[in-house]
Amino acid sequence: MDMTGEYQITAPRDVVWTALNDAEVLKACIPGCQELEKTSDTEMNAKVVLKIGPVKAKFNGEVELINIEAPASYTIQGEGSGGIAGFAKGHADVVLVEDGEGTILSFTAHANVGGKIAQLGSRLIDSTAKKLANKFFDNFHDYLSNDDSEEEEPTGQ
Amino acid sequence: MSSGIGVPVKRKEDKRFTTGKGKYTDDIRKDNQAYAAFVRSPHAHAKVKGIDASAALAMDGVIEVLDGHQLTGDGIGNIICGWAVNSKDGSPMNMGAWSALATEKVRYVGDAVAVVIAETQGLARIAAEAVEVDYEALPVIAHVMNAMTDGAVQIHENAPGNQIFDWELGDEAATDAGLAGAAHVTSIDITNNRLSPNPMEPRSAVATYDDAEEHYTLYTTSQNPHVARLVLSAFYNVAAENKLRVIAPDVGGGFGAKIYIYPEEITCLWASMKTNRSVKWTSDRAEAFITDAHGRDHVTTAKMGFDENNKIVGFKVDTVANLGAYMSLFSSSVPTYLYAPLLSGQYDIQNIHCNVRTYYTNTVPVDAYRGAGRPEATYVVERMMETAARELGMDPAELRRINFVQSFPHQTPILMAYDAGDFPKILGMAQSAADVAGFAARKAEAASRGKLRGMGYSTFIEACGLAPSKAAGSLGAGVGLWESAEVRVNPVGSIEILTGSHSHGQGHETTFAQIVADRFDIPIESVNIVHGDTDKVQFGMGTYGSRSAPVGMSAVVKAMDKVEAKVKKIAAHTLEASEDDIVIEGGEVKVAGTDKAMAWHEVGLAAYIAHNLPDGMEPGLKETAFFDPVNFSFPSGAFICEVEVDPDTGETEIIKFTAADDFGTIINPLIVDGQVHGGVTQGIGQAMLEQVIYDDDGQLLTGSYMDYTMPRAADVPSYDVSHMEDQPSPNNPLGVKGCGEAGAIGSPPAVINAITDAIGNNDLAMPATPQAVWRAIQAAKPVAAE
Amino acid sequence: MTTINMTVNGKAVSGDVPDQTLLSEFLRENLRLTGTHVGCDTSQCGACVVHINGKPVKSCSTLAASLDGADVKTIEGVSNGELHPMQQAFNDNHGLQCGFCTPGMIMTSIDMVERYKAAGKDLTSDAIRAELEGNICRCTGYHNIVKSIEDAAAKM
Repeated sequence: MDMTGEYQITAPRDVVWTALNDAEVLKACIPGCQELEKTSDTEMNAKVVLKIGPVKAKFNGEVELINIEAPASYTIQGEGSGGIAGFAKGHADVVLVEDGEGTILSFTAHANVGGKIAQLGSRLIDSTAKKLANKFFDNFHDYLSNDDSEEEEPTGQ
Repeated sequence: MSSGIGVPVKRKEDKRFTTGKGKYTDDIRKDNQAYAAFVRSPHAHAKVKGIDASAALAMDGVIEVLDGHQLTGDGIGNIICGWAVNSKDGSPMNMGAWSALATEKVRYVGDAVAVVIAETQGLARIAAEAVEVDYEALPVIAHVMNAMTDGAVQIHENAPGNQIFDWELGDEAATDAGLAGAAHVTSIDITNNRLSPNPMEPRSAVATYDDAEEHYTLYTTSQNPHVARLVLSAFYNVAAENKLRVIAPDVGGGFGAKIYIYPEEITCLWASMKTNRSVKWTSDRAEAFITDAHGRDHVTTAKMGFDENNKIVGFKVDTVANLGAYMSLFSSSVPTYLYAPLLSGQYDIQNIHCNVRTYYTNTVPVDAYRGAGRPEATYVVERMMETAARELGMDPAELRRINFVQSFPHQTPILMAYDAGDFPKILGMAQSAADVAGFAARKAEAASRGKLRGMGYSTFIEACGLAPSKAAGSLGAGVGLWESAEVRVNPVGSIEILTGSHSHGQGHETTFAQIVADRFDIPIESVNIVHGDTDKVQFGMGTYGSRSAPVGMSAVVKAMDKVEAKVKKIAAHTLEASEDDIVIEGGEVKVAGTDKAMAWHEVGLAAYIAHNLPDGMEPGLKETAFFDPVNFSFPSGAFICEVEVDPDTGETEIIKFTAADDFGTIINPLIVDGQVHGGVTQGIGQAMLEQVIYDDDGQLLTGSYMDYTMPRAADVPSYDVSHMEDQPSPNNPLGVKGCGEAGAIGSPPAVINAITDAIGNNDLAMPATPQAVWRAIQAAKPVAAE
Repeated sequence: MTTINMTVNGKAVSGDVPDQTLLSEFLRENLRLTGTHVGCDTSQCGACVVHINGKPVKSCSTLAASLDGADVKTIEGVSNGELHPMQQAFNDNHGLQCGFCTPGMIMTSIDMVERYKAAGKDLTSDAIRAELEGNICRCTGYHNIVKSIEDAAAKM
């Protein structure tokens, strides 16, 4: 499914850009993210717990940043395997535009799931993916507004 | 005769099922039993680059993890399609290799790549989750019309353009000429929706291996255990036939899905040898949706021409059939020989041509599901007749009637020789039962409540009683389709019938006993049916295609003929009479017109004691027979469906469903009615509720009962079922025609014809969900004003 | 592991089971009461219905560990030497074919009839069909199941 969104962030574009490239920030903001380890400047290994409908699984995968146009835009893409539950993959084009003192972050994202998670959760995928995307950017927004906030794990239940 | 032919005898087998004492495969537990869980592809199409089982193997309780390289390395053969269909240019079908565990490539979501054997089912599943498979995703063909496009990815190397075959039946030039000269031509585009059979008992297998005897036993959910053993031996090289026993115990429904020998049974047998453990696998429902063969999935365009008297002058059909990722056991025969020869329906049509192209897609393999090809044919023919009647401004029943075959035998131009029937009479029976005369008033009354009433017909024919072996062989079948039986009269006179037919809901333990009780005039309690075990029953081709009565029972009758002849010889010898004067009745074998008689059990005893048998007679009283039919049987029927549609919501209620059938002789009306009820409900399911849906990535979106709509009690009505028995089949001794599939074959067009009649828009695809009906109503609105 | 004690079909039983053990597993695997069937994984088909403390419950979605002290009745506990009127009615009216859904159907139906009788409500065929919402049968088309329940209701 495809998603788009736009957020107004009360921080300058450079700050937003730095945060978007900080593995610790991403880890704190990606819903269900348990581990995010940098393997190069643009690549990370991730462990994410994802729950769609009745299926809950831990996905092991890789996250990569491509099409980098600092500090204006990049594409973040990821692909993970949840074992018998299937796989999930997706990417988001993220664009930052200066807006006075703040920044407008807009994204278009596309996600796919496969295997059991698609078979049993298909009706819920669109809404779950939207929820997860929104949660990420909400978290991200909150993080920048309140730098030392403790993030909850929104899908850990 | 209180339990003979035609009596609604209550089923003998019910007590164990109503008290929870049935023995299904998953109820079996062997000593030393381990459990299998399969590692399945989440990708619809991908290269398998590697399998890392180390984490799984390190878990406590995991016995072994096995993959496809080990399987093929041990010489286990590829899964085959047993019916060779050639393309019209003479080239053989393009059968792609199918290994029980995929090695290089996976081709549908659910394709197995490895199996974990562990001490418990839960452990096996957890360990399967820990097996890491490295996939490289490939482009996916999820829908059949995308399989043939230029540049489409190749699913099997030996199937260029993903085509399996391009086949035809009938005289195309003559049909084109007929259509060219027609006064009116009706054209339709039809999709026959893809279905999942869903017997309520999920498939299961328990495999055991005796290393001292090098002998295997497989308990499995099969409609045809002997066919399973044959294929497992001859093609999959699991074990020689004499080293493999296949037992199909109580089986909880089949509907075609349990004909085939699947990767799981092969793998469990092989794994039982590898681990020297009994290995059990039981599917869950989610697994069933991605492994049980699906049914239907045709896309068809058709043209029918009529002369100025509205008689059919030509019928041309072009069909594309989706066979899924691999060719399942009978997959090639379903859209060809079980489909095209039925396109003449109940009608006298001189010119028919049908072209069928089949393709691979990245979906579950497609094979026979209740009706198998005949529902697809009936849907094309009966939607066509209704559509044509609307275009011609004719009463749809009348258009059918004037085109009916009137005399028998009737040779169609597409292989079939109809042997007996009376189509006008059946239609008349259905029309009076459905009170067609009162429909206009009911429609007006419904309209006064703001509801739309509609009525739809389906007059259909099937070819059942598969099948004359020679004919089947000439059309490419890899096996004969006869049936065998043994009638074993015990020394105390009780009887065991060993049959190669298999009962998985059909009630054979009752109906087969009825024909024996009827023949020898003994209590039905004295007759037992033995089936489903290759070590007990001589051989058998199993139960599918409504063949158990016309073929399986016929074999029993033939064996009873032999028993009767011997009984008469023994009695004549003992009673010092002529064989011709001996009659069997009332539990006695007696000399007609005298008081000389032996009790039935005394004859049995005499045969086994053998103190006083005619010279040269062998002792014992058991006879075996094989029955090979000389023709198909041709059950037919007329279904009438009356619906009421709420135009605001599209919700459709079936007000009345009338089924009048010709099944020839009826052995047990209770059971035959039950077969019709169940079949019609599956047909209504297809017409209104059920559809397998894949997304463009080949992910199954209808993979549970949350998304795949099974008919429930409130979705269907009670049925009005009647039978015509005065045209018995002339081609088998009982005159039976088979009743298992009629309901599923005849009902979908009746439902759609009724709904389209109600809403005034003929453009409505199955399943006619409320949303689909509502959309069709909206689409018709601008032109609906009268 | 959890130790559970319950009464099943009038008999006291106990067992040590992993916490995630479902009642259906406990009945089938620990007690070998295999009349309770499992036909789906999503609590839709009803082949697994048993009575817990007199109420019909889908045993495939009930944790055995949550039922310490419960009184459970399965299909094996329905007949008392003689068939229960519901079991007899399914036989009399050909209310079953393959038999797989039958135990759950009978457990649901017995409760249905008892509930309607207790409430003094009329169990119409429409009501029966609505009440069977949680039980799927693929063989009978429900026609004879409805008849069986009507027949049993008259005799219970």
